[in-house]
This record gives sequence, C-alpha cells and structure tokens, in this order.
Amino acid sequence: MGLDFHVIWDNLTYFFIGRYPHGPLGGVALTFYLAVVSCILSFFGGMFLGLLAISRNRVIRYASEAVIQIVRGMPLLMVIFWMYFLYPALMGRAMPESQTVILALTFFTSAYMSQIVKAGIEGIPKGQTEAAISTGLTHRHTMIYVILPQALRNMIPSFVNQFVSLIKDTSLAFIVGVSELTHVATQINNRSLIYPTEIFLFIAVVYFIFCYAFTTLSRWLEKRLAWAKAI
Amino acid sequence: MIRFEGVHKFFGKLHVLNNVNLHVKKGEVVVVCGPSGSGKSTLIRTINQLEPINEGKLIVDGMDLSDPKVNINKLRAEVGFVFQQFNLYPHLTALKNITLAPIKIRGATKREAEEQAVALLTRVGLAEKKDAHPSQLSGGQQQRVAIARALAMKPKIMLFDEPTSALDPEMIGEVLDVMKDLAQSGMTMMVVTHEMGFAREVSHRVCFIDFGTILEEAEPAEFFKNPKHERLKQFLKQVLSPMH
Ligand SMILES: Nc1ncnc2c1ncn2[C@@H]1O[C@H](COP(=O)(O)OP(=O)(O)O)[C@@H](O)[C@H]1O
Ligand SMILES: [Mg+2]
Repeated sequence: MGLDFHVIWDNLTYFFIGRYPHGPLGGVALTFYLAVVSCILSFFGGMFLGLLAISRNRVIRYASEAVIQIVRGMPLLMVIFWMYFLYPALMGRAMPESQTVILALTFFTSAYMSQIVKAGIEGIPKGQTEAAISTGLTHRHTMIYVILPQALRNMIPSFVNQFVSLIKDTSLAFIVGVSELTHVATQINNRSLIYPTEIFLFIAVVYFIFCYAFTTLSRWLEKRLAWAKAI
Repeated sequence: MIRFEGVHKFFGKLHVLNNVNLHVKKGEVVVVCGPSGSGKSTLIRTINQLEPINEGKLIVDGMDLSDPKVNINKLRAEVGFVFQQFNLYPHLTALKNITLAPIKIRGATKREAEEQAVALLTRVGLAEKKDAHPSQLSGGQQQRVAIARALAMKPKIMLFDEPTSALDPEMIGEVLDVMKDLAQSGMTMMVVTHEMGFAREVSHRVCFIDFGTILEEAEPAEFFKNPKHERLKQFLKQVLSPMH
C-alpha cells in the first residue's frame, strides 16, 4: 500500500489557516493561537492559584486547595463541556467556541500549574526567606525578589511538561466544533474518505514539531538562566 | 540594647530556652557557646524574631518584642543576622545581594546603594568580586559578602550564628578578621561560636549555655581560667583540645 500525500498538498492552506481570510481562522494557526493564549493565561492563573495555596491565611489556603483538587479530579473534556453548556446558561449569553476552549484549557491547566508553583516555592531553602526578612524585607518583597526568581527557574521543566500537554489538549477543542488542526483534519478526512493514514500522520507530525520546538526553546532558556553553574 | 528577662521557648514539648536572663549593652560583644542542641541558635534567633518567644520579656533596641504593636520588619532592619550557611541569594551578584534591602526598605537610590555596597565590599576585602554570583565565591568569600549584606542596612546590632562552622579551616581567619574589625568599630554584637580565640581576644563577655539555660557568664579571662560549672569544664576541655 503506497501513501499518497496529495491530499495534504491540495488542502495545505486549509490545514494551516482554515477558511481564513474568507472565514474564521482555523487549522494549525488556530491550534497555535489556542495553545499560546492558554499557555500565557494559565501561567498567570497557575501563579495566582499557587500563591493563594501557600497564603498565610488559612481560609484562602483551604479554598484554593479545594478548587485545585476539584479541577484536578475532572477530565478536561468535562471542563470543556461545562464551559460550553454552563457558561451561556449562567451568563445568559453565548461565547465564541474558541474562547470557551481557551477558558476551559486555562482553568484546567492553571490547577496543575499551581501545584508546580507551590512545590517550586516550597522547594527554595528556608534560609533564603530567613536571610531576606532578616534584612528587614517584607514577605512580599521576599517573594518577588528572592523566592520567585529562583523558584521560577526551577519550575521551567515542569512548566514545559504542562505546556506540551496543553498543546496536545487543544485537539479536544474539536469536540465543540472549533476548527483547529484536528477538527480540520477530520473534515478533510470526511470529504476525501480514502486518505486517513496520510492525514492523521501529517497532523501527528505537526503536533510533534510544535511540542519539540517548545521543549527545545525551554532547554535553551533554562541554560541561559543557569546562574548556579555560571562561571 | 538586648535584654532577656526570664525568657522561655518551647518547640512542642521540648523546652529549648529555660529562663534565660541576659543583658547586652551598646557596643558590647558577647560570645555564646555550648554543646550542639543546647539552644544557641534558638537563643540568637529570638532576637530578630525568627523564633518567637513563649514566655518572659525580650527587649531589643528599646522595642518590647512581646508587644503585638511592634513593627517586626523595622526591628529586623535594625538587626543584622549572619547565618552559618551564608544564605546569599544565588540568582543575584554580590553587589545586588547587598543593595536589595537598602533600595527596597531604606529607599536608597540604585546609585547610593551601589556606592555603599562597593564601600562595604572593599571593607571586607572583596571589591573585585562585586559582579560575581555566590556560586563563584569560596565559602569564606560568601560569608564576607553576607556580612556586608547585613551591614548595608546600617544595623545597630549584629548577630552571628556560627559564622565559621561551615567553612574550611583555611577560610575561618578571613571571616574572623572582618568580625574583629567590626567589633573594634564599636558594633554591638552577639556571636554564637566555638572559636575560643575570637572569644578571648575580642569579646567582652562569654556565656555558656546548656539545655537552654545560661549556666555561666563571665569576662573571657575569668571564663577560661576559672570555669565554675562542671559542664563548662568538660566543654572547654573538648573545644580547646588539640583535636579541634
Ligand atoms: N524548628 C524547630 N522545631 C523543633 N525543634 C527544633 C527546631 N529548631 C530547633 N529545634 C530543637 O531545639 C533544640 C535546640 O536547637 P538549636 O537552638 O538549634 O541548638 P544549637 O544551635 O545550640 O545547636 C534542639 O534539640 C533542636 O533539635
Ligand atoms: Mg545552631
């Protein structure tokens, strides 16, 4: 059985940008957009939740811990459905599907990121905090200038794992009809019918390149920030 | 400057400080020694509230630490602390380690703070290391930077918790020299150390602490020549033996 990649070639623009500029952006570009926006938002969401989870106020700590545990106990697909069906019901108006997905991905990934943030901060030796507050720095200053810069660097590998998962998770957006890469691929497959291997091989390669590029970028970043070994 | 009155401290059931009474006057250098686990670190850490006390009274620079209205950050800015493990910030250069607190707390400009930091680094003999990260410095150099960092806040009191215990023997001298210098400049100091040479030469008084109680307190000459307590005699035999 020979493979015929004509189907990819013929639909290349559709794979990459969907119906844009005549219709909404789709395909690889939309996947990229979903991943990048959700990455950025869940970075901040994760920081926020993670900092709440180590708050010195017990009520805040328990509340954030509860949210985190609940989200971690749900399949992502369910979070997407929740956003998709509950948001319009609660808010009385619909939201574009891609925004629903971004919200769901952010919410979901933030919960995992917060655990990384929490562990990262708690992993910095106590002596650092003690040294900082001994010079009269407040707890906030200590966090911003002493603990977080060190903790963030240590968190990079775990962040990257999480983001790589996130890139792949964007494929679940197809379930609510967002025309990202996987959705586009199923559409083309339904139309042409006889090239499923070629089509899904192609998108597998695209996902791989995405994730691999991201991992490489982060390795470079990690090296650049390696003050501990700097000579 | 520092006054302990009947201070008690517990870690759970462990009675770590048991009725401590101690007075350190302005400009005095007091050395604290005692066996491992006797409560030396806990004692010195109560002074800047790294460990809160449970009972008794502790007055530092006129501030009563049992008063809930006391501004703890302000207290800490007036009290420098030097740790056994240096605890420099590994992501910052020596210079930035020193300038962080003066800029954030004292409201110094970057330039003022850096000029002061260079002056302090010169004082501890490390001017040429200002752009080095802690990982590029030897233990002795790191500890000297840590002392400079504490001094940058212009503290009224300097506390040292075994500042030379984590150092290779050949580096102990350079740190002690900086501390001697500081003592001679009239700084009020409390130093937990087993460096008996330093105690004899520099300190005004030496305290021996065991099981959380100050068993003996005397001027260094008296302390070493006429130890009264049996436990202190044993302890001195150990730390002054040639094995050490
Ligand atoms: N944070 C803590 N929690 C519980 N026990 C502690 C803590 N810090 C110190 N201790 C205990 O208190 C005692 C005195 O400790 P420390 O003051 O560090 O002694 P030293 O500095 O003289 O070696 C030791 O038995 C130690 O195990
Ligand atoms: Mg100790």
